[in-house]
Amino acid sequence: MEKRHKNALVVGAGISGIRTALDLAQQGNTVELIDRHPAMGGLLAQLDYQFPTNHCGMCRLLPLTRRDEGSQYCLRKGMFHENIHIRLSCELKNLEGEAGNYTARLRQKPTWVDPDRCVGCGLCEAVCPSEIADCFNEGLSDRKAIHLPVPHAIPNAYVIDLASCTRCGECEKICPADAIQLSQSRRRDFQILVVDDELSIRDSLKEWLDEEDFSVDMAASGGEALDMLGKKPYALMLTDIKMPEMEGTELLELAKTSYPDLVVVMMTAYATVETAVQAMKMGALDYLVKPFDPQTLIPMVVRIFQDTEAAKDLELQVDTVVISTGTTFYDPADPRNLFGYGIYPNVLTHIELERMLSHTGPSQGQLVRLDNQQQVRKIAWLQCIGSRDTQVHADYCSGICCMIALKEAILVKKMTQNSTDTAIFYMDMRTFGKSFQAYYDDAKKDGVRFVRCRIHSLAQDRETRDLVIQYVSKSGEHLTETFDMVVLSTGQRPGHQMKELSDICGVDLNPYGFIQPQPFFPAATGNPGVFVGGSATGLKDVAESVIHASAAGLNASGVIWSHHRQAPLTAQGQEAGPVMDETVRDVSREPVNIFTVICSCGHRLEQEVDPGHIMSGLRDDPEMVGQLVIDRLCTAEGWENMVSALEKVDANRFLIAACHPYVFARKIKTLARKMNLHPSLFHAVDTARLFWSVDSPAKEDGSTSGSRVLQELFQGATVLKHTGTDPIMPIPVTRRALVVGGGIAGMTAALSIADQGVEVDLVERDKSLGGNCLWLTRTLEGDAIGPLLNDTISRIGQHPGINVHTQSSIKDITGQVPSFFTVIETDEKQLVNRSHGAVILATGGSEARTDSYGYGTSDRIMTQKEVAAKWGGDGANPADLGTVVMILCVGSRMQPRNYCSRVCCPTALKQAQDLRQSNPDLDIYIIYRDMMTHGFSEAYFTRARRDNIMFISYEPEHPPEVETDQNRVLVRVNEPTLGVPLEIETDLLVLATGVTPQLPDELSATMGVEKDGNGFFLEADAKWRPVDSLKQGIYACGLVHSPRSVTDTIATAQAAAQRALSILSNETQYSGQIAAQIRHSLCSRCERCIPACPYVARWRDPEDDHIHVNDMMCQGCGACAVVCPNGAAILEGFTGKRMLGVIDAAFQGTTVKEVFLEAEK
Amino acid sequence: MGIQRSLNIENEDILTGIQGFLTAILASQDIDAMLVPKRTSAGHSIMPVLISHPRELNGVDPISPQFPLNAARQVSKLTKKPSGKKIAVLLRPCEIRALIELVKLKQGDLSSLLLISIDCPGAYSNKEWASQCATQDMPDAAEFIEHRLSGRDLPIAKACDACEWPVAALADIQIGFFGMDYRKQLLVLFQTAKGEMLADEMALESVQVPEHRSRQLNEYISNRRSAKAQMFENVRKKTNSLTNLEVYFEACVNCYNCRVACPVCYCRECVFNTDVFDHDSYQYLVWARRNGSIKLPCDTLFFHLTRLVHMSLSCVGCGQCTNACPNDIPVSDLFRMVGEDTQAAFDYEAGFDPDQALPLSEFKENEFLDVAGV
Repeated sequence: MEKRHKNALVVGAGISGIRTALDLAQQGNTVELIDRHPAMGGLLAQLDYQFPTNHCGMCRLLPLTRRDEGSQYCLRKGMFHENIHIRLSCELKNLEGEAGNYTARLRQKPTWVDPDRCVGCGLCEAVCPSEIADCFNEGLSDRKAIHLPVPHAIPNAYVIDLASCTRCGECEKICPADAIQLSQSRRRDFQILVVDDELSIRDSLKEWLDEEDFSVDMAASGGEALDMLGKKPYALMLTDIKMPEMEGTELLELAKTSYPDLVVVMMTAYATVETAVQAMKMGALDYLVKPFDPQTLIPMVVRIFQDTEAAKDLELQVDTVVISTGTTFYDPADPRNLFGYGIYPNVLTHIELERMLSHTGPSQGQLVRLDNQQQVRKIAWLQCIGSRDTQVHADYCSGICCMIALKEAILVKKMTQNSTDTAIFYMDMRTFGKSFQAYYDDAKKDGVRFVRCRIHSLAQDRETRDLVIQYVSKSGEHLTETFDMVVLSTGQRPGHQMKELSDICGVDLNPYGFIQPQPFFPAATGNPGVFVGGSATGLKDVAESVIHASAAGLNASGVIWSHHRQAPLTAQGQEAGPVMDETVRDVSREPVNIFTVICSCGHRLEQEVDPGHIMSGLRDDPEMVGQLVIDRLCTAEGWENMVSALEKVDANRFLIAACHPYVFARKIKTLARKMNLHPSLFHAVDTARLFWSVDSPAKEDGSTSGSRVLQELFQGATVLKHTGTDPIMPIPVTRRALVVGGGIAGMTAALSIADQGVEVDLVERDKSLGGNCLWLTRTLEGDAIGPLLNDTISRIGQHPGINVHTQSSIKDITGQVPSFFTVIETDEKQLVNRSHGAVILATGGSEARTDSYGYGTSDRIMTQKEVAAKWGGDGANPADLGTVVMILCVGSRMQPRNYCSRVCCPTALKQAQDLRQSNPDLDIYIIYRDMMTHGFSEAYFTRARRDNIMFISYEPEHPPEVETDQNRVLVRVNEPTLGVPLEIETDLLVLATGVTPQLPDELSATMGVEKDGNGFFLEADAKWRPVDSLKQGIYACGLVHSPRSVTDTIATAQAAAQRALSILSNETQYSGQIAAQIRHSLCSRCERCIPACPYVARWRDPEDDHIHVNDMMCQGCGACAVVCPNGAAILEGFTGKRMLGVIDAAFQGTTVKEVFLEAEK
Repeated sequence: MGIQRSLNIENEDILTGIQGFLTAILASQDIDAMLVPKRTSAGHSIMPVLISHPRELNGVDPISPQFPLNAARQVSKLTKKPSGKKIAVLLRPCEIRALIELVKLKQGDLSSLLLISIDCPGAYSNKEWASQCATQDMPDAAEFIEHRLSGRDLPIAKACDACEWPVAALADIQIGFFGMDYRKQLLVLFQTAKGEMLADEMALESVQVPEHRSRQLNEYISNRRSAKAQMFENVRKKTNSLTNLEVYFEACVNCYNCRVACPVCYCRECVFNTDVFDHDSYQYLVWARRNGSIKLPCDTLFFHLTRLVHMSLSCVGCGQCTNACPNDIPVSDLFRMVGEDTQAAFDYEAGFDPDQALPLSEFKENEFLDVAGV
């Protein structure tokens, strides 16, 4: 068994796992990233569009510094990173040890196709006879047994689904790369023991299994079986239950005692099924009910073979583990199937609809009915299917289905040019995220219809197969509406095999089977070295997933740091880091000499083209000094052959032609180092695809592959002729952080950073630390905030690495990442100068003010905060109250604060609970718009209704009215269910006014951060970089970022700290090789490049009158080079000369003019 | 609305009248120098001259129909870096618009300038001017204006014939012919706060803008629009294929005069002078082999297309590129037509609003959805 050490194991390679892995890797930690699927990306691999941008943007997760250590292309297609080892089709099977020293056992299933060899040509798929439903398209289309797990991965290797494979061997025969190893599959080594007292059964089993190439022995009794087990190792035992002498269960027990790894499957008659179930508890893997046929037996045996024998186990030493396994979704076919899912063809789940809307989906992005392929004209979404439904044990909200439905409705409107009628049937529209309310407003503007009611069932018209929904309108009318398609917004369910995983990892689950995080610390589990990110604790949107993933990363890096007590393994990171100038040969003054190596790809090259023609074509260019053909560069042997050949060659640039050039990136770096040359002097081009692909363009347009190969080679040669070999200079990092704001967010961030050896200045405006936690008492879940606050403050006080500046403020911040220059004004009005490598903004927020609903006219009208101050503490008794009315969304989700403040609904429930507890006779009315009890807080809403707290909904167009006089407060509101106006005389009116951010203009201006329309911190990207500022090195957390609970605030604080640590953990940082440069002598100082730079990396320095670029902030996008008309702003490696040269080479053998003239015809 | 005054002309000597007005402006404490078109000593040409002494105003001629170069480039030189001095500049409307573009490109600064302009009825090309001067004395300016305003056919530059902006909206002070009995009286409009501050120093009578002015202007502009439409139609026909485009530029010798003459071609060093177009010797042979031959110098069409890409968004249609062409290629006709299209694509008008950001400097999330998709 393989045994290696990594700092962290990340289980699950969806966006959350990717975020955690990248965060840790950027710090310099080594990571093993595993996923049970054969492709990465998780759920988002299936989703093309995300709200609120309606497009993707996943690539924005990629590192901004040390970019060359990882891939820099579409992240949905996959990724690599020097510090991350990705292992797919792999599961965590066991975990032992403690934080800082775990031994993890991983099991990797074979895919039967060698991913290093597969060129993705698709010939195998064409010959495969077995077709089954494609799970990537949610079963809406078919695929072959040999298939691509996702359509878009790079490199995209085929995999074989052994259960549907007929083992005809056609794919193996046709595979040009010898990548398929089906017949080598070690079935003969898979020893099976069949135990049954009936000879006929033994015989037929042996016959079936023999035919499948398994090795089968037979035993007629338990005793005989035990004898045989002693003689040679068996992998699988199939045993009958009812046998004379020894029962199957006894055999199982004895066999398992001596051979714990033996897999046992019980064979049982119908009468003894219960015994079989019992046997599974004793260690049997599964059971088969007699009589069974080969179609039942064989797939099961194949699966066991694949899972056990063929799977590769390995052990890994890790310091810490992060679980990011995500969620699954409710299956609406089970158990009541009220909506005909799977029966009515036009009833889909929302994930299925996403596939329909995708261009790689079953209908290539066309929204058509599945019964007749006609355009969908009317489509409805039914919300809360399998959520907020106690009948299916789901007393929770799934959090983001409302937003998914909004997005899908908007997309459908857009894609069909507004010609489709879209209706969403919902209970509460839960738009609790920062920009969600605006998105909801947009949907309304786009004409999406919203119908507030729960549909209990739907029917299909027998003839037309239209779907008929009956519902009751708000005014009580019974209405019937017909739709072409109905989408079920199915709710979350725990991730795949969550129970097993939680047992392995020693973490707790909540009553619904999701991971239960620790109070206030959303990434912490009961196991001190195991953390959780993303949706494993409940479904989250991209932004929240990414925040929780970074928070998990912070916890994990904390464990790693405390066990290594040093900047985490920078040496390891640097070994693979950029090339320094003093180490390589300077070729800039040598004449260009290019040596070309062409891979013959299993001698396919010679079959398809004339190598002589290629060679003479290359030799025509005086700078192409030598050529060599080598077979199978993809193999270790082929590569070694090339390396030893190159070492004898006198050239200063090397062109390598093979398939999948990007997979050579790492090998090329090593080779370059060995040859003492800059890696940019090596370039790989993809020539093989020209003759591999079944739909190769070369064959379509009839031009010869030979000239296409030459075109490709000359393009690569042009790149090499004009390659940039400027060394990447290390940028020293100021290893000190500034945290602005001393609430729970700022304090958590400060502690998180200081705990990893980086000094922190924590600046707080007020006299004492604590912020809003000073008045908050308890969470909705009942966790007391006082102890958290006291503990945090005392840890800060004792921490030698944290310098607290109370009654202080930031006067000025200049400079950029990784060296800001800060002026702090202290309590004695003194100015202190400090340097910082990163800045965290945590200035918080406060309860919004209001003058609505008679606030200020009576002391019986209070805000939630005032109620907390009066009755929040223990012991207060609201005995003199008879009636309490609460109005929610006061000034929220409408002007002036058109966003949901997220904390008010839970606060209302909590205060209602508290008041009711101390005064059981109290009447409580909560007047609300949409109850935003997302996730598992839904249960408190259910409980409140059970406790007879009255909920009355209102529309913003018809808000409640409040009348006050000296002694009383009267609330008038229309009760929508009864349709009658109510008058409630109340002793206390509580107004939920929401949260406003505290981000003074002077501070945001000096920091260079932007605010959103509501005054909150504006993220670099709301989905993918949710705590980053567009200006690199500045991060935000807590209420200044967005309204959120204490727990959610801590998640952002930890996430921001982790993002800052990815810079601060290293002594030096590097930009990428591809970065902007300025040729000052050509520059006209027109400054167009400055606003064009999306990363705010450029400025004009009045002192030297030059334009400057911050190397760390520049991401090499080239926007500057595009707006600059004369090449004063250039991108290293993408100079005009090189770009024009590459275009020119692409027309080798033809002329631009011909192409244009052809186009004109 | 600004302040409206009249400038009375004695003896129908318009030039002397205008010179007097300019003398008054230069005498103002606020003005240190003045850039004005002035006849050369031999009297055959009119060139921009920077004047700091009033005696040098003798010979200033902003009304004769000669337009040898677009002076926006010269104003850029005077204001690119702060000099601490105030300068009055007398420019044609298209020169002001070019200047606005240069200011947006940080190649000049308006704050130290007083912009003066005169209603522009167009001008002759340099060649036509030379030939007119050869057969007679300098053409009579007043007569030229009269003919232009009455719609009489004159062989003026095509860019001017197709120019629908005879009045500079952004000038601080605008001197007007249109709608006036200009042999006797010119209109002086102090249009901006900067201009208004000078109004009282000038001993001029208040006057109402005659109604006739807008009528005459509209008629003039509508004639220019039809000329422009006609011009566009011709250019479109002549350039509707790659082959035709090549024919259009077949006389080009890569002298790059058009680029030098272009007021908004602001690069310190043009990309066509950099190493990007310094091809390897081997490359020429590859190209020759590919087509069987290659015309030298090459990159001719590429040059013009590149300039269209770089500058058509800022093209103000002044016509100086055509004026500068030694081989009479109607460069300006094409630039004007393409510029109008590209500017419309970005909802941009070159040279009008100093606060309107240059296209490509602004990132708009939902732009060109028809091209970029959803």
